[in-house]
Amino acid sequence: MLRITDLYKSFGNVRVLDGLDLHVPEHSIFGFIGKNGSGKTTTMKTVLGLLKADSGTVEVAGEKVVYGNSPTNRHVGYLPDVPEFYSFMTAPEYLRFCGEITGMTNTDIKKRSGELLELVGLSGERHRIGGFSRGMKQRLGIAQALINSPRLLICDEPTSALDPVGRKEILDILTSAREKTTVIFSTHILSDVERICTDVAFLKDGKAELQGNISDVKSRYGIDEYSIETDCGDTVRALLERFPAMTHIRGKLSFRESDVCVFDVLAYISEKRLPTAKIERCEPTLESLFMEAESK
Amino acid sequence: MKTLFSFIKKEFTEQVRSGKLWLLFIIFILFGIMNPAIAKLTPWLLETLSDSLAESGMTVTSVTVTALDSWVQFFKNIPMGLIVFIILESSIFTKEYASGTLLLSLTKGLERYKVVVSKAFVLSALWTVYYVICFGITYLYSAYFWDNSVAQNLVFSVVIRWLFGMFVISLTVLFSVVFKTNTSVLAAVGGCVAVSYLAGFLPKIKSFVPTYLTDGNSLIYGLSESGNYTVSLIITLLLTVACVCISIPLFNKKQL
Repeated sequence: MLRITDLYKSFGNVRVLDGLDLHVPEHSIFGFIGKNGSGKTTTMKTVLGLLKADSGTVEVAGEKVVYGNSPTNRHVGYLPDVPEFYSFMTAPEYLRFCGEITGMTNTDIKKRSGELLELVGLSGERHRIGGFSRGMKQRLGIAQALINSPRLLICDEPTSALDPVGRKEILDILTSAREKTTVIFSTHILSDVERICTDVAFLKDGKAELQGNISDVKSRYGIDEYSIETDCGDTVRALLERFPAMTHIRGKLSFRESDVCVFDVLAYISEKRLPTAKIERCEPTLESLFMEAESK
Repeated sequence: MKTLFSFIKKEFTEQVRSGKLWLLFIIFILFGIMNPAIAKLTPWLLETLSDSLAESGMTVTSVTVTALDSWVQFFKNIPMGLIVFIILESSIFTKEYASGTLLLSLTKGLERYKVVVSKAFVLSALWTVYYVICFGITYLYSAYFWDNSVAQNLVFSVVIRWLFGMFVISLTVLFSVVFKTNTSVLAAVGGCVAVSYLAGFLPKIKSFVPTYLTDGNSLIYGLSESGNYTVSLIITLLLTVACVCISIPLFNKKQL
């Protein structure tokens, strides 16, 4: 759906994108993760033709994106981090306006805006947008982004300033949009990505790291971690003495397989008959992968 | 075409709901009433002040007021109306840059030239309507109290003053595309008008500059012929069209 090849972009002397390559498969929810200032918004604005890249190509649905008036925008819906609307309009008026400028017919606009207002929970809202809360604006933002049934929905940190209820609402709406739309979703809230995304890419130093399907990324780049739970202080002392690479937090010992061989640990516990409550292998989380990627 | 109409409709709705339309409507109606009213009240004012003027050695003789006095007031007041109009409307682009409202429209595939054309059209239409209202009120009152036929070249002088307003609007559009704040827009428009005004002091180029079109009084008093304004009229017309045309490619390249 979206293919970015060898994209470079600098602001003055600061290189924000440094040969970025990205492939977003159709009907995926693509989590685009990176620290603040890592270039997520720059990438998205380049995809929307709002920023001119120094070099490289961006293709949406097989068509090349052009800076300025990009015809590819007819395939795209965009939700910025802080969506700004014409405050003098009501939500239905704004959706009608959006429908009209995308060239939809009056019948389609009426039908689609009714559906979307229902979807985002603003169907009974007749007040002007100027009086909307942040959460209501974000929900209206999703409705306007989906008005022309775009093939690609780009959301720039849509949940970053919302309370937990607002976040859940937005994530639920994005999940339901996946049936018809490919969603790119930039964020630094990794739990949101774990919750709804099918694919992920970490943006670091202007390049995409650890890119692909989330379970593939975890199995490919995740480092096996183990934890040992015990109430016995002697067990903790003995294991820490024998395996100094282990860490100990509140009665729980943990170690990475790269640092300590799990079979050695099991053999030692067995040999010394150390009392333990639980030994388990921990699934790598996006957070651990992200921290790992950032520390490299 | 539908997208263009839709954006124009949005602009007009904003004018109405922000209250700007009504405010300017009232201002231009007031100016329209003031023009004949000041002319009509001049003899009474002078009579009221005659005693105090006599004490300072000035003698007030009877004053005959004609439609010309009303039109002189019109040409005095309309620049004030234009200044208020430009000050209130100079944020038509910059407000959208600051709030980011244009981004969503442009990412929906709205072509950028339609933004420029819509805003230029709305400003021109509003200026024309306000101007016609002010002119119409002045004309009707002047016709009621006096005889408008004493004012020579009336229609021509009014039309060229309207064209000068259109020129100032085109400068506003051009500088709104170039700059990001309405203070810069106002400063640039004011600067251009000032340059034109100062250039008007040079006899050799006096009749070429756009501000030459603001000399309506000479026309209505018959001190000048309409033919004298042809060059300035053509130059102003070309500059007006050029400003709007240049705005389009500049806006296409503008980073929002």
